[in-house]
Amino acid sequence: MFLKISKSQSIEKWNVGDLMIRVGIVGLGRMGMLHLMNCSKMDGVKVVAAADSSKKALNKAKALHVDNLSTDYHDILNHPSGLDAVVLSLPNFMHFESIQLALEAGLDVFAEKPLAISVGECREIVGLVEKSGKKLMVGHAMRFVEALETMKQRLDKGQIGDLEVATIEEIINGPFSHPRVPAPVSDWWFDPKKSGGGALLDVGYHMIDLFRFFAGDAEVVFSHLSYKLNLPVEDGAILVLRSPSSVKGIINIGWYQQTVFPKYNFRAILHGTAGYLSSEDLVPHNLYLHAVKEGSKNVLRRIAGRKIRFLYYTYYYESFYKELVHFFDCIRNDSTPIVSAKDGLKTVEIIQAAYDSFHSKPTAQT
Amino acid sequence: MGSIVSLVRANGSKDIGKSVDQAVSLLGFKTTGPIRSVVVKPNLCYYWHASTGYTTDPRVVSGIIDFVRERFGQDINVKVAEADASAMRTKHVFPVLGYTKLAKEKDFELVNLSNDELLDETVKVNGREISFKVPALLKKCDLFVNVPKLKIMRATKITCAMKNIFGCIGFPKKLIYHKFLDEAIVGINKVLHPHLTIVDGLVGLGRCPVKLGLVMAGTDVFSVDWVASQIMGYNPSRVKYLRLSVKEQVGSPDGLVVVGENPAEFARDFPKEGFVASKYLWGVQFWLLNAYRRVTGDVIPPAIEGS
Repeated sequence: MFLKISKSQSIEKWNVGDLMIRVGIVGLGRMGMLHLMNCSKMDGVKVVAAADSSKKALNKAKALHVDNLSTDYHDILNHPSGLDAVVLSLPNFMHFESIQLALEAGLDVFAEKPLAISVGECREIVGLVEKSGKKLMVGHAMRFVEALETMKQRLDKGQIGDLEVATIEEIINGPFSHPRVPAPVSDWWFDPKKSGGGALLDVGYHMIDLFRFFAGDAEVVFSHLSYKLNLPVEDGAILVLRSPSSVKGIINIGWYQQTVFPKYNFRAILHGTAGYLSSEDLVPHNLYLHAVKEGSKNVLRRIAGRKIRFLYYTYYYESFYKELVHFFDCIRNDSTPIVSAKDGLKTVEIIQAAYDSFHSKPTAQT
Repeated sequence: MGSIVSLVRANGSKDIGKSVDQAVSLLGFKTTGPIRSVVVKPNLCYYWHASTGYTTDPRVVSGIIDFVRERFGQDINVKVAEADASAMRTKHVFPVLGYTKLAKEKDFELVNLSNDELLDETVKVNGREISFKVPALLKKCDLFVNVPKLKIMRATKITCAMKNIFGCIGFPKKLIYHKFLDEAIVGINKVLHPHLTIVDGLVGLGRCPVKLGLVMAGTDVFSVDWVASQIMGYNPSRVKYLRLSVKEQVGSPDGLVVVGENPAEFARDFPKEGFVASKYLWGVQFWLLNAYRRVTGDVIPPAIEGS
């Protein structure tokens, strides 16, 4: 089709240069498949291997011209010849082992969050990264959402004075999100030994990282977990955080809400001494109109022979593309990713502190 | 006289058991033999909380269990049963929706119909042969109580008593029936016949959830759906599976009697969904997205494509 993106028609702002990076995608669930599709659209990146236990997923990868396919990711990580980097999108309990294998194989690693399911595992990974000298970036995608990048820039310019309080919330349906073609929720989500935690480790992870993005660092002042869905892991949490410069953070997250894509119940508000910034003022209110508007612009750009801006239907899906572009840029330029293993460790430490704080109370579960 | 459908307004959570009793009493419901085993089939189609209007409220099931024990004896065997579905697993849905907790409190057994004894049944509907895996338990029990929700659905306009029987099919991937869903609904209702249907209309689901406070009962699933359709703002004779049911002699509205509250009062409060909005806009949206993707090569997230 004449309007299709070709490798020579590079994408505005995110042209990744000339060096071809050969990538393996490990795990082809929803996130892994999205990463694969994103990589397939990038100049200078070639996905040469993919692994997943699902043959259906591997067939999709084959359709995207991935030649080296396996139902066992060990095949890729134990025999990495021909690979420069790997994108890991596995269930939480497999993060540690897969990261360890990839680093030992001499690969640069992009790992989905959480870095691992315990503070101990995260610390080991930080050590492994330092020992290997390879790059490890954790998928803190929210930092790449354009609206939140804009808020950070305005905050840093002093447009709202000194930041006093950040309220950040995301209430979604977590593992219960219903794909268009129905598929059962994976069992590991309900097993704390495999998931490492519930909504706090899932969506709370991103919100805590965002607070650190805006305020520097964080410690837990208060935490409350909720169990409305009778799961063995929490389905909601409210945290109060504090940064070293005494910025307060109110984090409100949950898995308990029935929301259907593309509805997205997320907002971040920064309250400063000279004003405030809200993510709601910076994101499209009607996602359908946004998609139509951006899609139409791209069609016109293509007809006019101009470079396009990648469209993801929703504004927040762009972030997954941008984070990978940043990772590949770091490999090319030998620079440090803005989200390191230490950021992953710090976030898991805060979450563990929130769990400890809540469970140490005499009447913990409500 | 034809079939009777009763409507009762439940005024508060403490009142639910009483409302169930009242709704069934209005029917003049009588059993033909001794009742030793009761199976209650709620609608637990997914993990959404009862307050969303998608799933049967455990308080209604609790009220039904109180009612059957009071009516037929405290020592009767009560089971609450649901089958796995394409995206739902009963082992998770029972605890998530509060049924595991209720089972402990009320001392009854939870059953995954998909793991139970399944019978192969084939029926012909509208010239099409349809095969089902039918749970034997629902045929063997002395009293089969169907506890559907009152909600709209894009594919069939409404979903209530007859669609909840579709949920009994033991084969989890019921998506295979969705290409001929109306026929499949009628077909499974030729095979399975609940003795009693008690609709959980505490929260109805139209274009948004609404607290209706309705408990509706009947012995004939077709008649219950005929009235439910009117409450939800659809002309029942334009609901395809109801029309097909008449053609296939699964049910008939002739002589249907409504007792208790006036359905019009609940219909007034029900947040109706326009037919065009419910059926076409959704499909058009995905068609346009896919067309855009095909033309431009842009990425549509897997959440939209389906995994």
